[in-house]
Amino acid sequence: MTTNTARDAAGTAGGTGLAGPGHGTSVRLKDLTRSFGATRALDGLSIEMAPGELVALLGPSGCGKTTALRIVAGFEIADTGSVLVDGKDVSSVPAAKRDMGMVFQSYSLFPNMTALDNVAFGLRMRKIGASQRRQRAGDLLDMVGLAPQAEQYPHQLSGGQQQRVALARALAIEPRVLLLDEPLSALDAKVRLQLREQIRTLQQRLGTTTLFVTHDQEEALSMADRVGVMSQGRLEQIAAPDELYTNPATAFVAEFVGVMNRIPGELQSGGQVTALGSTVPVRGDRPDEALVDLLVRPEGLRLEVVENGNGIVTTRTFLGSVTRVGVQLSGDVAVQVDRPSAESAALAPGASVSVSLPAEPVLVAPPPGQLMT
Amino acid sequence: MAAVTRKGGLGGRGGLGGTVSPQARGGLGGSSPRASRAWRWMILIVAAVYFLLPLWAALRFAGVSAFGSVISQPGFTSSLALSVRLAVITTLVTIALMLPTTVYVHLRLPKLRRLMEGITILPIVIPPVVLIVGVLAIAPGFLKATSWLLALAYVVLAMPFTYRALDAGLRALDLKTIVEASNSLGAGWISTLWRVLLPNLRTALLSATVLSVALVLGEFTMASLDLYQTFPVWIYVNSQTSGQVSVAASLLALFVTWIFLLGITVLGTRQSRKTGGGAVTLFTVARTETRGD
Repeated sequence: MTTNTARDAAGTAGGTGLAGPGHGTSVRLKDLTRSFGATRALDGLSIEMAPGELVALLGPSGCGKTTALRIVAGFEIADTGSVLVDGKDVSSVPAAKRDMGMVFQSYSLFPNMTALDNVAFGLRMRKIGASQRRQRAGDLLDMVGLAPQAEQYPHQLSGGQQQRVALARALAIEPRVLLLDEPLSALDAKVRLQLREQIRTLQQRLGTTTLFVTHDQEEALSMADRVGVMSQGRLEQIAAPDELYTNPATAFVAEFVGVMNRIPGELQSGGQVTALGSTVPVRGDRPDEALVDLLVRPEGLRLEVVENGNGIVTTRTFLGSVTRVGVQLSGDVAVQVDRPSAESAALAPGASVSVSLPAEPVLVAPPPGQLMT
Repeated sequence: MAAVTRKGGLGGRGGLGGTVSPQARGGLGGSSPRASRAWRWMILIVAAVYFLLPLWAALRFAGVSAFGSVISQPGFTSSLALSVRLAVITTLVTIALMLPTTVYVHLRLPKLRRLMEGITILPIVIPPVVLIVGVLAIAPGFLKATSWLLALAYVVLAMPFTYRALDAGLRALDLKTIVEASNSLGAGWISTLWRVLLPNLRTALLSATVLSVALVLGEFTMASLDLYQTFPVWIYVNSQTSGQVSVAASLLALFVTWIFLLGITVLGTRQSRKTGGGAVTLFTVARTETRGD
């Protein structure tokens, strides 16, 4: 799929004379810390980005992801640690000289300039001649599909169009690194989806190393080569999207990415845990407590319709090829189980079912009440 | 000329912090459309009588012939030239001082905005007499004999209006994002100020200019205490000898100022509409919202 979309994009918007893959820049965030008063926004963050890679930083608001991006951009200064671009420490280089294209969360186009002049602004700052920069800016607007809007002012453009102009403007300077600060969060769902694909296609075609900050896991998982999940100024895990989903390193990642059930269980000796009547091996960290919660995805639970089972179906939500079934277990535990839609006709609310664990290793975590350690 | 001074002051204060809200067009709430329309006409007529009657009376008193002799009066040209020069100097100095200050406060010290508002209200609250007596008492000798001293005192008077106009203009911008976008594209501070901020503050700067110019052209107290024959002082002095000519002169000044303000407002509004801004008003710069999708 990757090669296909890249080739398609090159075909439709070819001949712009922009740098192709292979010109990427490596970026390294080394042990960054940053405090705002008593709050530690970053607490020893280290990330290495390969040339041409798109890394998404994902996390709840206040986890430090935006601070990290702003330190890379040069708008914030780290208390300790450094940012290396192609091996060189840029910590003392001002933002204007870092050669980093940035797209902001809020609309950031200059209201007094047309779309074309906005895109050409960075080239003008680089003392590129008028005809040449008009040409290049025109090419870039064409690339984001906005050539007809070249002479319009920002207030005449829709939100999605404005962000596409902002993207073209950031790419016009052939940045060494592209920084995206939640560029899609102000847009409505449909536009967001289109723009998501457009950004990824362009990024892959140009081979620009990109750091993308978002709180939307779907966005991060669908666009990034690797996703770094952050919590309280630290990197919990950085991995490819599928790895993150199937092999979350911590309970936080497990619950932040995708839907996760918590099922009470009891730790046994020898790395086993018992729940729902079966005993399975534990994967990853093991808390000190004996009573723990098992973390299991909706597709990781087994569900059968039986007389006098351990649960009652409460809800049934059709999601296309799968149907998500809400089940009330004894002891006030509710879980969600995904079943193929074709096999879920009998799972009407009120049906008695049996929920069980497959014999696979599971993640465990302390119950939420005891999280405050 | 007293009329000009009062007009400037009233117009200015009435506009403080005012925005054009949709309700302002809707008339008085609760009453029927017909009743509210009658109210509107009544208010309009009362206001028109209040403002126009004195003008009409002044016009009758002066007579048409007085207008012709205004220009040939001794001191007319020199006093007008002095006032215009003071207006230009005051406006330029005030903007040069307040633009970087206001931008800096908005960007780096937003917490100081309240304090700034407090400080900038002082010159309006403190009577000009007090200000000029204080200025004259402490001014260094080399300034005392020059019109620069008066210009600097006017800078203090014009500062509140300029600050407020710029403050409103900056508030309409997403300043932080725009400055950062400009920086990330390679623009340093001077380029950002010159190419990005100034063009977007054109409306605010026009408002500031209009207010400063009107203020200086109408200021009487400070000029007369500082012993300068500015245009308002000249009109006053002349009124001792020829009442009709001085009334004609003040009417002339009023009309010229009006046309000047009208011109700037119309031009400014045309320019700002093009880039999505609102109409030029004396204090607020309205902003049109971006379409949602």
